[in-house]
Amino acid sequence: MSKKDLIERIGSEDPEVRGEAWQGAGNAGPAVIPGLAKLAASGDFEIVRAAKRALWKIVRHVGRPGAGDERTPVVEALTKLLGARRPPTVRREVLWMLSELAVGGRAVRRVAGLLSDPELCEDARMALERIPGEESLAALQKGLESAPAELKTNIAQSLRARGVDVPGLPCRKLVPSRPTAVKAPGA
Amino acid sequence: MRKRTIGRRRFLAAAGAAIGAPLFVPAGVLGAAGRPGANERIVTGHIGVGGMGGGHLRDMVARMKRREVDVAAVCDVDEKRLARASRTAGRQASPYRDYRYLIDRKDIDAVVIATPDHWHGVQTVHAAERGKHVYVEKPACCTIEEGKAMVAAAKKHRVSVQVGSQGRSQPEAYLAHRYLVNGTIGTVRRVDCFHYPSPVDRRPVADSAPPPELDWDLWLGPLRWRPYNRRYCHGTFRWVMESGGGQIRDRGAHVMSCAMWWMGADGTGPVTVEATGVAPKGGLWDSAVLMNVVYTFKDPDWVLTWSQPGEPAPPEERTSDEARIVRPGYGAVYRGDHGTFVHWGGDGGTWAERKAREWKPGPGAKDVFRSPGHKEDWFTGIRTGAKTVMNIEAGVGVAFLCILGNLSFVLGRALRWDAGKQEIVGDEQARRLMSRPQRHPYHL
Repeated sequence: MSKKDLIERIGSEDPEVRGEAWQGAGNAGPAVIPGLAKLAASGDFEIVRAAKRALWKIVRHVGRPGAGDERTPVVEALTKLLGARRPPTVRREVLWMLSELAVGGRAVRRVAGLLSDPELCEDARMALERIPGEESLAALQKGLESAPAELKTNIAQSLRARGVDVPGLPCRKLVPSRPTAVKAPGA
Repeated sequence: MRKRTIGRRRFLAAAGAAIGAPLFVPAGVLGAAGRPGANERIVTGHIGVGGMGGGHLRDMVARMKRREVDVAAVCDVDEKRLARASRTAGRQASPYRDYRYLIDRKDIDAVVIATPDHWHGVQTVHAAERGKHVYVEKPACCTIEEGKAMVAAAKKHRVSVQVGSQGRSQPEAYLAHRYLVNGTIGTVRRVDCFHYPSPVDRRPVADSAPPPELDWDLWLGPLRWRPYNRRYCHGTFRWVMESGGGQIRDRGAHVMSCAMWWMGADGTGPVTVEATGVAPKGGLWDSAVLMNVVYTFKDPDWVLTWSQPGEPAPPEERTSDEARIVRPGYGAVYRGDHGTFVHWGGDGGTWAERKAREWKPGPGAKDVFRSPGHKEDWFTGIRTGAKTVMNIEAGVGVAFLCILGNLSFVLGRALRWDAGKQEIVGDEQARRLMSRPQRHPYHL
């Protein structure tokens, strides 16, 4: 199936056509990624789902052992989707895709850059937590220094998960939350 | 936990209410060495009180009326469910939206966790860290990392954990187990589990604002944030891979629990896992509709399969005075050198083939553990420190089978598993998926 055919089918109004298309998208390669990202930002929620699932199929296909040559251009194409012109719903999904594939370089730098994005900082933090290696660790450490106070404990948690001792920012599992309005009978 | 013979009001008055007015006297106060005696009531808190959690609550309220336990608290992120549970539990039970306040109560000995799967690991670990004994619904965990953390927390804090794969406690499970371990069908080399398919979301809807009674952020908890969609919950979380995982996790945690126990395989694991299947073409739910997973074990060599639908064994005819097989759509076929054995169900209903039920042990026959009941077994674990029949190590081991099957399915390739180290081998992407970073502050 050509790149154009795949995009058209995933954007189809027919759920059968759409479903078969995304399920067969695994080996479509990096060229279809911008087109899928566009569909993932479209208005029809079922087309959005199909486009995201096609992207995930590609991610899982190129993540297989021995597929490094296929993985690199896919990581590059995904990294480009982190730019501000894409909606947060797409960028959030891409962050999690990169958490499975990225190892360092531009991808990690772009993910780390989103630690200062109010909408995506938590997903960026979690993506960096999962990406192994020194670059992601250094990005988290640098992020801790520059993060606003409300994000510092989150990043500290990621660093702890990576085996780093973080003094001065104790984990606060019990934070104030909205109490229930329900009363016990007779209370 | 409370001794029936001690006047609670007098004790509380003596203890002084100024430090927070505990409603109940916990085990740590009255029990020897932190373990209650046989005559002490266990004080429980209930986290997640709809669906299965509602069933557990009603069961515990019945036990409270028999003066076996005290129900001290109920908790749910859905106010409507919480209000209903509060009425069920009675005036002595405090309602909570946020479980973290419940587990901070020092007068609660034990918690029953029946939240969606993505909460099991975090809540079990948090509860253990607060010294609470835990009954947690199956499957035990959503990731390998969560499972390991649950085992470590239970061990470190010396709490008794029972995972809700209650098939192990059913009367016919005992008969099946005894039948198999006595070699009646020879050496079993293959167990084929069958189950009808996972459902398809045929009425997909757009994301929307959550209903006012639901704390959506707290429902998501450890999961990455996403907008509310009414196809997520309540019971339908089961069909979403991140929070449920489909039939292989729901019923697989029952049927494969029986297999691991009866095969003497608790504490072991497969060396390879290979899944194929068919995902739904659309809708929110993304768990495999059709599925076939092959788990290969070594030393001893045997194969476990999970199939949706597989080849369901027709339910046997039963007489009117025998327990009727009401859920024949899932179960397993055990294939030995000298014959086969079938059971249906595997959860609260477990039905063994007639030949196992009628088998009479001869001289020297081996006997096996006969559970007094899943909750009773948990209470014994709390009181004595004895391992429960579906202890956390066993529960996590079965959950790992479910997790690995789903991982192989979504990745589209076979996985190699090191059961000793409890880790995936030779696949970097799959290794990353052994854990799932969690939102702050809802993390391990």
